[in-house]
Amino acid sequence: MPKVKIPRKSTAVDMTAMCDVAFLLLTFFILTTKFRPQEAVQIDIPSSTAQIPIPESNIMMFQISPDGRLFFGLDDQFTRMKLLDRLSSTYNLSFTEEERETFRLLETWGVDIRNLPQFLGMDPDARAKFQQPGLNIDTTGGNHQVEDLILFSRQENNDLRIAIKGDKTTEYRYFDKLINALQNRKVNKFNLITSARTAQE
Amino acid sequence: MAEMNVAGGGGHKKGPKKVRGKKMSTRVDLTAMVDLGFLLITFFMLATTMNKPKTMEVNKPAKEDKKDEKEEPPIKMSKTATLMLGANNKLYAYVSPDAIDPDTELEIDSLDYSPRGLRKFIQRRQSEVGAQWGDPELLFVMIKPLPSSSVKNIVDVLDEMTISDVKRYAIMEPNDPIDSLIALMTGQSRE
Repeated sequence: MPKVKIPRKSTAVDMTAMCDVAFLLLTFFILTTKFRPQEAVQIDIPSSTAQIPIPESNIMMFQISPDGRLFFGLDDQFTRMKLLDRLSSTYNLSFTEEERETFRLLETWGVDIRNLPQFLGMDPDARAKFQQPGLNIDTTGGNHQVEDLILFSRQENNDLRIAIKGDKTTEYRYFDKLINALQNRKVNKFNLITSARTAQE
Repeated sequence: MAEMNVAGGGGHKKGPKKVRGKKMSTRVDLTAMVDLGFLLITFFMLATTMNKPKTMEVNKPAKEDKKDEKEEPPIKMSKTATLMLGANNKLYAYVSPDAIDPDTELEIDSLDYSPRGLRKFIQRRQSEVGAQWGDPELLFVMIKPLPSSSVKNIVDVLDEMTISDVKRYAIMEPNDPIDSLIALMTGQSRE
């Protein structure tokens, strides 16, 4: 009787396979995650039933904050650098190598172009806290900063799509100014960024 | 682990158990590692799904096209509907008469952006245009946002055009005298 004793089995399970699966999934999610870049301003986008996804690349993004400040961003770092070269020659600005590097990594910005060297030269922490005044869209005195941005960027990268991201509460007057600037540069097609919603019945 | 001790104790079935227990296995307990793995998976899953719903876009009609439209023979006003977007989510809708004479009466609807407001108005106009001109698709909607209306309002209206399947619409300046009149009557600023 003692000889027929059934060998005792442990309740512990082999974790190897589970561990493999877990890390496989983990790798997948790490690779597919795109973190939202730090935004210059908080924007709460309106929702719509539009189903067209945003193009993956070649986007020129304008953001309009609720108080009407305008921000600009290019997704492609190569185009960004070319834009900076064009800006520095047109506006007679000079940038140090460090400032150029900062600009290359800057997702969105909204300052007067003439103040750009100063803005880029700021301490990173100070720049994050700095309340950016928005692009100068005022065209008095032959000043066409926003139009120049549109023109130069499109000349450097012909495939650019233009996206406008406005806050729900942004008033139309600010929006209208931007559209006018775009249309002065013969841009008649642009995309409004919205979040998904199903149609109400 | 069940199989852990098999290799060591295989030959000595009679041997004391203490000896078996002391043999060290090369296997490591992976439970903690799995825990950690799933924790990170959870984090990344949540981080990705939060980002996704924000990638939708609306295509807007070009302004240049509207200018062309104006230079063409003007559209019969009886084929149109005008929506005027005001501050505080106000929406006014009217149908301009073909010709203005002393007896002309203009009916202005104050709508909201809900399906019962705007969508009903658009559908009513579509059927009216369909009855008068034979095709509801001839309806031309003029969207006139006042400066103090919000981006959300415009998105809502454009969205409604897609939902109600309005083929022809344009965003315009509120520069018709009737627009000024309505703005004045409803206390909406044009600045």
